[in-house]
Order: sequence, then C-alpha cells, then structure tokens
Amino acid sequence: MLRKLTPYLFVAPLVAFIAVFTYVPILTSLNLSVRNWNFLTPDMPFVGLENYRLLISSRDFWNALWVTTLFTVFSVPIRLFLALIVASYLARETFVSRLLRGALFLPFVTSTVSIAVVFSWVFATDYGLINPVLGWFGIGKVAWLQDPALALWVLIFVNTWKQIGYDVVIYIAGLQAIPQELYDAAAIDGGKRLHVFRRITFPLVMPTTYFLLVVSVIEAFQVFTIVNVMTHGGPAGATDLLVHMLYRIGFVLFDIGQGSALAVMLFVLLVTLALLKSRLIGRKVHYEA
Amino acid sequence: MKREHPLKLALALAAGLLFLSPALYSIVLSFQTADSYYRGGFDFTLGNYRNAVGFYHFARYLLNSVIVSSLVTLLSIGFSTMAAFAFARFRFRGGDFLFGAVVATLMIPSHISLIPNYLTLAKAGLLDSYAGLVLPAISNGFAAFFLRQYIRGIPKALDEAAYMDGATPLKVLWRVIVPLARPAILSMALYVFITEWNNYIWPLVAIGKEDLYTLQIGLARLYHNNPGEGLIDWPLVMAASTLTLLPVLAGFLLVERHLVRGITMGAVK
Amino acid sequence: MLRTLKTISLAGALAGLLVAGGATIATTAAHADVTVKFWHSFKGGNGKALDEIIQKFEAANPGIHIEGENVGDYNDIVAKLQAAIPAHRAPDAVIMEVTRYGLFAEHGVLTDLTPYVDADPLKDNLFDYAREIGVYNGKNYIVPFNSSTAVLYYNKDILARAGYTTEPPLKSFDDILKVAKTITEKLGSEGITGIAAPGQFARWSLIMSNDSDLIDSKTGDILIDKPGTVDAYKWMSSLVYKEKVASADGVTDEDNGKKAFLAGKVGIMLNSTGDYGGAKKAIGDNLVVRPMPCNKVCRVAIGGAGIGILSSSPREVQDAAYKFISFAASPESNATWFAATGYMPINKLTAAQPVAAQALATEPGIDVAIQQLDFARGRPRPPVVTWMRATEYDMWQAMALGQRGVEETLKDFAERTRQEATRVTN
Repeated sequence: MLRKLTPYLFVAPLVAFIAVFTYVPILTSLNLSVRNWNFLTPDMPFVGLENYRLLISSRDFWNALWVTTLFTVFSVPIRLFLALIVASYLARETFVSRLLRGALFLPFVTSTVSIAVVFSWVFATDYGLINPVLGWFGIGKVAWLQDPALALWVLIFVNTWKQIGYDVVIYIAGLQAIPQELYDAAAIDGGKRLHVFRRITFPLVMPTTYFLLVVSVIEAFQVFTIVNVMTHGGPAGATDLLVHMLYRIGFVLFDIGQGSALAVMLFVLLVTLALLKSRLIGRKVHYEA
Repeated sequence: MKREHPLKLALALAAGLLFLSPALYSIVLSFQTADSYYRGGFDFTLGNYRNAVGFYHFARYLLNSVIVSSLVTLLSIGFSTMAAFAFARFRFRGGDFLFGAVVATLMIPSHISLIPNYLTLAKAGLLDSYAGLVLPAISNGFAAFFLRQYIRGIPKALDEAAYMDGATPLKVLWRVIVPLARPAILSMALYVFITEWNNYIWPLVAIGKEDLYTLQIGLARLYHNNPGEGLIDWPLVMAASTLTLLPVLAGFLLVERHLVRGITMGAVK
Repeated sequence: MLRTLKTISLAGALAGLLVAGGATIATTAAHADVTVKFWHSFKGGNGKALDEIIQKFEAANPGIHIEGENVGDYNDIVAKLQAAIPAHRAPDAVIMEVTRYGLFAEHGVLTDLTPYVDADPLKDNLFDYAREIGVYNGKNYIVPFNSSTAVLYYNKDILARAGYTTEPPLKSFDDILKVAKTITEKLGSEGITGIAAPGQFARWSLIMSNDSDLIDSKTGDILIDKPGTVDAYKWMSSLVYKEKVASADGVTDEDNGKKAFLAGKVGIMLNSTGDYGGAKKAIGDNLVVRPMPCNKVCRVAIGGAGIGILSSSPREVQDAAYKFISFAASPESNATWFAATGYMPINKLTAAQPVAAQALATEPGIDVAIQQLDFARGRPRPPVVTWMRATEYDMWQAMALGQRGVEETLKDFAERTRQEATRVTN
C-alpha cells in the first residue's frame, strides 16, 4: 500500500503548489471576468460578458493590442536577424567567441529593472548619455521617452539589447548541430561564404529560427518591467503594452472584472501561440530523426 | 583552443565593451558626485553607495532579495527533483496526466494568476511577508520537466542495484540520482535563482511594506521618487542599480557555463 | 518510505516556518499603548513640517504613537488603499484628497466622523469652506488638514531677462500665453521655457475660470464635453503642442514641470499654494505669487486633503486617531503647517498664532491663496471622481502631445465617465 503511494508523495508538493497557484487561478480569473468588482464591496455582482464587451469597445484595448503588435512585429525579426548574424560569427569554439558570447549574454541574466533604469538615463532628454553624443554632431536634444513617436522604439531597442544574448546562444547551439561534412562538401564545391550561408546554414537552422520566433513572440507579448519602469505606458498610451494595461486596470483602476477579462483574452492568445510552439518543436525533433 | 590574432582579439574586446558600455558607464557614474556629474567633471566618491545602503535601505533590500531567492530556489528545486524522480522512474495511475499538467505550466502565462494569487494570499494574510513572495514562485514546472528528462538519461540499473541493497526510494533519490544529476540540478538552481532575483511584477503587487521590498522594487521606487532637488540624482540611482545587478553578475561570471547550458538545454531539448 | 514522509513533512514545516517568519516581520512591535498607522503624501520640507506636528502630538499624548508613512502622492494613496482592502492591511488613518474620498466613504471603508466632530470644539473654529470639504452625503468623513487653491507663480528674474521690467498683465489665457511666448523666444536658447505644463489640479481650476467644470458641483452632471471645458483644454494643450511654450516633460510627469520651475528653467507655473514653501526655498526672492487667471470668470478649485479614519480599525485606535486629527487641525499645528508650506489656514484662530502672523508679514505671496477664497469653490466628490481623475492623465497626455484631437478626446472621455458613473454606483 505504502509502496503504491510513494510516487504520489514524491509529486504531491509540486503538484499542490501548481494546482493552487497556477490552475485554480485560471478558473478564478474566468469567474472574476464575468463580475463587477473593485475590491471594496462585499459582493461581486454577475454581469455576464459585459466586461468583455466593454474591453472590446474601448479604445485603450485596441491601442494596447496595436502597440503590442507593433512592438512584436518589429522587435522579433530585428532580434532574430541580428542574432543569427552574430551567432554565425561566434559559433566556433575560440577564446574570443566565448568572451563575446559571455558579454552578449550578460544583459539576459541581469536585472531588468536595472537595465530599464540605466537606459532611462541613457535616453534622458537632459543629462543623459545619447543626447550629448548627438550634440557633438550638431543634433539638438531629442525627447526620446516623451515623444509618442519615439518611446516605443526605445523600448524595442532596450528589449533587444537585453534579449539578444539568449537568441545568440540558442542559435549557436543550432549552428553547432549542423554536420561539418555539409560545410566541407560546400567548400569543395567552392561555395562563396554568402552562398554557403544561404544554401546550408539558413535552411538547416530553420527549426531553431521557428523555435526562437515563437518564444520571442510569446515573450514580447508579456513585456512589462521595462514599460513600468521607463514609460508607465506613456506618453499618451504609446507604450501601453497589453500586460501593462492589465496591471493598470487591475492595480491602478481596480476594475477587477475588466482586468480579469483582459487576462483571460491574453491567456487564450498566448496559449494558442505556445501550442503552436510545441507543434513546431515536435516538427524539429521529427526533422532531426 | 586556438590562439587568436591579437588584432582580432582587440576588435572583439572593443565590440564587447561597446555593447556593454551603457551598463559599464552607469557603474562609473555611480562613483561620481552628483555635482561633478552635472558640472561635467569627475569627483570620485563612495558617498552614493553609502547613501543607497544607509539612507535608502538597500542593505535591507539586498537581504530580502537573498532570502527570497534562496528560499524559492531551495523549495522549488527540492520539490521539482522529487517530482522529476517520480515521473522518471515510477509508472503510476494518473502519472502521465500529472506530468502533463506540470509541463503545461510552461505554456501558461503568469499574468493570468496575478489578480487571483493576490486574492488568495490576501485571504491567507500572507501579503507583506516572505511567504507571500516565495510560495507562488514555486508553482513552476520547468525545473521538474527538465530534471525528469535528465534523470531518464541515468541508467536504471544503478537504481535497481541500490534497491537490491535494500534502499528506500528516498535513499535512491538522495544517494544515486541526485549525485549523478548534479550538473543539471545546479543549472536549474541557478536558473531559478536568477529568475526569482529579477522577478518584478509579483513583488510589485504583493509587497506594500518598505521593510520587505526586494532590490528590484527598491530600485524602481528610488528611480520613480526622483531623488534630488530639481534634478534627478543619477549617480545615486546608478549606485543602487549597480547594487542590484552586481550579485547576479558575479554569480553569472562564476558559473557561466552551467547556466548557459541549462538555458540552452531547456530550450532545445 | 517513512523517510519519504519525513522529508515531505519537513518541507511542509519549512513552508510553515516561512509563513510564521513572514508574519513576525509583518507586525511591528507597538512601542506605545496605542499605535496609529497613518498614511500620508508629504515628503521633503512638507514632510518635515508634518513630522514636527506628529512629534508635538506624541509629546502631549504619551499613550499614543503615530506611525506616519509617506506612501506616495494622492493617486498612490488611493491605489494602495484600494489594494489594501481585500488584504486587510489598511492603515488606521489616511490622508485623502478632497475629491477622491467619496468612493471610500460610499463603501464604508472610511468611518463616519460626525459624532467626533460634533463633540469637538474645533468645529466652530474651522472655516466654513474647510468644514465643507469633509462632508459627503451629509456626513463628515475627513477633517481638513492641508487646504489649497492653485496660484500663479512666476520667476521675477526670468521675466526681467525676457524684457518685462514691470509686471505684465496675467489675467486672461491670452495674457499668459503672450508672456510665455516672449520668454520662450528670448531665453529658449538657454534652455528656459515660458511655462510649466499645468498639472491636474491647475487644469481643473483653469477650466473653472473658463466658466465651466468637469463635473457639476450641484447636480453631479459630467461636464467634460461642454464647450467651456473643451476650449480650456484646447488652450492648455496648445501650450505644449502648438505653441511649444511648455515642455512635454511636464506632461508625462507633472512633477517634472515643478522641478524645472524650482531649478529656474521655467518662467511661470500654475500650481498649488502648498508648493509655496518649496518654491521659496528654491528660488528665493525671485518668486512672485499672483492669483490664478480669470479668463471668463474669477473662480478656482479648493484642493488639498483631509485625514480620515478607517472603519476597520479598533475603537480605541480610532479614538486615538481622531485625537491626532483634531490636534493637526488646531491653531498651533495649523500655524506651523501654514508657515512652513504655504497651505491655507483652515482654522479661524490660526492667523493669530505668532508663527502664522510672522509668515503673513514677511513672506510675500503666501496670502494670495487665502485672498482667492472669495471666489474659490469646493468640488463634488461622488465615487466616479476617483476613476475620472486617474483616467484624465492619459487623456491629457493624448491631447497635449497632439496624439488626438481635443474635441474627440473629451467626447470619448465624457461618455466613458458617464458609463463608469453608472457602473460604480450599481
């Protein structure tokens, strides 16, 4: 009897935590999303799909979706493109490439808040780092974080700076998995470097690209810290990414119903993406076999 | 390892430095007086650190971060190793289902539990406590998933031999599996520690008491409160920022290889 | 197997320990018989003045300890208080801005102070306007502490360098725009701008001086899309977007506008009289204070905050908290506060206190806000105002940064506010 119980006892603590803090919350969110509540009343009246309707008819929601999409559509390809180029230079196991990999990877493990604070200073209008440098070239002060047309680009830049080390490391792993014979064969054929890259490297590293693509899209849809520290979603909503909007509705305006409705919608979107990812990884394994 | 051409080495060094320059310069800035920074000179001082640690309580925040991240790592890795062992070595009714549920957490975005977890911990009276920071962070299936894959790679014959000698499952886990899975466990522990160290949104909503701020919250607060009369005191903010990123950075440099391996394996496997 | 059980129970015990450990840290030992946790919004010079009042109170009431904590600005207080309700971690007393406490009074978070106030001789000494601030639906929920109206500050030195050797008229919107333009043209190359983008409190007053309002003080109707309001917003946002006489820095964070004025980088600032102390310290004799513009009518909003008591606190703590509230509104405390900060006297006997009398005699401009009381007006405080003010910041940014037309923005904002007003009362 006890013998039969053993595996359950081993998994029990982890499963209990996961149940309480991950699965039950999904149900709680669903429940809260059909109620009108602001933390202050003892009861939470049922309002049906009203919160969803309000969200979908609100300008803020579409703005957040648009801004998040913009962020994703620009930041992800830029990251992957740069990362692949850098990775193909750093794929060899030499001292220099290890050193540079380390440097590139550093921001990924570093505190996001620190990075956001450092770049708030870098892009400060007065007494920052970039504007004085631009000044040497006779370019006047740029209000990077106060200009609705620029702020999102600054965030894309900062996010790229932070995340690219991860992409590079993953790409390197992917590149190193490409059999050397293929390159040797191409060398015998007298292939030019760019040609080899296009014909061999790029297609063979495609599974890694798919993987990174989905991972970074999911990551981009969840960006919060740099927004919260650097812009608070401003100026004029120009950087009000979805998770920041969720935080704002939930913990600034305390519209728990609408906040939960937004959480549920974002959840559905991200889980769909994640399922897509596991299918893609499945394909990769398939491909390797 | 091949020896590099010195010119190539220098170029590579320069590229790396350029990439890291904002962070590096921010560290330099933290050793400067605010006056000299705004004047455009450089006066060395440790005053910003003294101020950050003393007046702005960053020593306390550092302690909180260390306590919270350590506890999360300890509990999370402990529970995950146990679960991974069971998933890898036992066939039991519902085992596949439970494993599926654990792995599925990798796909579940954490924001869905933000409001519910706030309410759960509020009800339990655990907001504004270390427990409130630690408990939700343990609910993560990544380490269990990763370690299970690793443990499956360990020959089962080793367990069998131990069982023959009359060992209990726990003993097998502790004496056979854990020593052999050490590199994987270490990689995961680092990963969990760093993730928790850098956690922001949860402490932001869960902690209201200044005594319990983690470094991340303390730093964001310090920056938003705009210390300094008239102009923001950047050198002070950068001293606080350096304090926030340094411990992890030091840890990273020590064990870079383990960490990179953990992350790569987690992704590609 | 038993070992397995042991380990698991050990893990459980560890988790339990965590909880216990957290709880010990979460409770602070009470040094006095009664401790009143008090959230407020004052830092810097104003914070010091408040600390002084707290110290005097504790000296006079040895059994009571006031544990004051600055938890941010008025918005932060509202957010923190709302978040604290389900967590049962609200303080005992809290500073609440005069238009935002209705939400908390409505839902029974704040306790009705009417019995306390009625039994307190203080009530006869409070100015009528100050007494009115704390009344919601006929009951008294907060007692005024820091009352203010917005005033017009300018930097005499900057105006002089821009060519104004005598004071230009600063009565209408056009007057102000003209001066701000001149300053920006003449001194823009030195990094000086004409005016700080008005903060939310000043914006509300400017709308009033354009003979309109955000919300009708009698009927509670939403007036956000009325022509007078729209025109006022058009003028205010033009300062930033069209005329470029105000920096966008002050739009994304209104603290920046104030900081720039204190640093001598801005000519004119419209802001609370509570900034008098800080501004005087920063720019000294160059500080001049004038009444707010009277564009169509002379009218300003009464702002500031009062102290309320949480209904969740035990009775003896509430009693202690009220003692402190009453003490903070006494002529002595109020005089200290007035002289240090520039917030208006709320107590009729304050002006007779030596420290207040001296401030009135020697601090030019500290009395401007008081003189404005003739045409100052209290604002209504239904629950929706909290939401409206939290949302107005985004609306203002969109307009001032030229992201969205003023009329369109305000029409949308008005509709949403009406919708929210029905939701919040349901």
